[in-house]
Amino acid sequence: MVDMRSEEILPLITEAIVEVLPELDGHPFAESDSLEALGADSMDRAEIVMVVLERLDLEVPLVETHGPRNLGELAGLLSEKTSARAR
Amino acid sequence: MRDVAEIVVTGMGVTTAVGQGKERFARALFAGEHRFGVLQRPGRQLDSRFVGAEIPAFTPPARVAARDLRTASLTAQVALATLEEAWTEAGLDEADPFRVGLVVGGSNVQQRELVQAHDRHRAKPRFLRPGYGMSYLDTDLCALATAAFGIRGLAHTVGGASASGQLAVIEAAEAVASGRVDVCIALGALADLSYWELLALQSMGAMAPEHCADAPEAACRPFDTGHKGFVFGEACAALVVERRGARPPREHAPYARLAGWSVQLDGNRGPNPSPEGEVRAIRQALGTAGLTAADIDYVNPHGTASPVGDRTEARALRESGLTRAAVNATKSITGHGLSAAGAVEAVAALLQMRHGRLHPTRNLHDPVDDSLHWVRGAAVEARVRHCLSLSMGFGGINTALCMSACEPGRA
Repeated sequence: MVDMRSEEILPLITEAIVEVLPELDGHPFAESDSLEALGADSMDRAEIVMVVLERLDLEVPLVETHGPRNLGELAGLLSEKTSARAR
Repeated sequence: MRDVAEIVVTGMGVTTAVGQGKERFARALFAGEHRFGVLQRPGRQLDSRFVGAEIPAFTPPARVAARDLRTASLTAQVALATLEEAWTEAGLDEADPFRVGLVVGGSNVQQRELVQAHDRHRAKPRFLRPGYGMSYLDTDLCALATAAFGIRGLAHTVGGASASGQLAVIEAAEAVASGRVDVCIALGALADLSYWELLALQSMGAMAPEHCADAPEAACRPFDTGHKGFVFGEACAALVVERRGARPPREHAPYARLAGWSVQLDGNRGPNPSPEGEVRAIRQALGTAGLTAADIDYVNPHGTASPVGDRTEARALRESGLTRAAVNATKSITGHGLSAAGAVEAVAALLQMRHGRLHPTRNLHDPVDDSLHWVRGAAVEARVRHCLSLSMGFGGINTALCMSACEPGRA
């Protein structure tokens, strides 16, 4: 996988959320949703991000993914990381 | 304060290869069923044909959150399912959670899942699931169980190799006897072996060799002169131990009273058993129960089908004067549950006591000792007032547990 736009990454994130938090199956996700508000504790958040990183085959330290406040920002950050890798 | 006379078992759960739940398990025991075959679960073979018995299916309890089940190991999921049965039977939703404890018997009980995770991530280790950092611990079973059932009194693991399950029952009884909690659940955790443990256990001569795969049904033969070593069996059992009278009376009578027990060490790092250690454990358990060998109606032995283990144990039973008691070997039906075995066998003993029947010992055609009163062939009727269960583990640990029928009355 190379450079990916954040619109392409967002579904990977929501897929990972449902995988880690099965009770959110069918939940209508918005870019403004925060993982915390969706009921993810710190361990769940680490698991969700790691699932997405693995799907993107993107090896970045988890600590570098801690800034984003919502799903849209997370997708944006991961998109930047894939671009940086593609360069 | 310490009153051993009033410690009873009020609930039990069991999951084995021959079935989930006490009713199904009891039927399988009395019919002498088995599920031995070449092990199929991923991570159990490496160009090998290891034989054993695997749990075909089980139902995890609804009270466990789906998010927890996703990352719970097979060992943990089976533990939760088994705890649910024991918990419900003992009516523990009504108990004060701060007076309820949990002792999990077993160490390194999730090996296969760990090896699977290592194998899966060998090429890309950085994608290892972060939660592995907590789920690799055996105490994740305690964490999941206390979260699901709301246990607040105590929760920890105890390790005693193949005596872990019985050690958990003994430690639960001690926790109740000391007054630390009113109720304590003992769990013998499923030992989820990977091909690494199976390879080494075979190499060291403890486990029946792979060529047994040609006739898996005949591989596991405790106390038979054709025995070739233990045969692995996935299993898990839970017993609710409590002080009689600590909670309001319930409709059902307890299964039995835990009348006496003993843990004896040989001071030996190796896997070899010791007749002296076994005899000491038997004598002390009987002594604390205020019984003699002549009072024991039934012995549920360790009986793994290890040639040296079987002969040593038969000798210990004979030297202890347990020649009147009926003896069978539960592992001939379940396989060797290792960390789970002592708890599974305590459940098996109490089910037999309640049903007034003793299960047959599979494949016991030519006993290693003719002076003992073996149950083989078919189940027999028997009134069991006092029984003794034994467990032994690598590293020179011998445990004995004496269980006695309760005086009639409520829990």
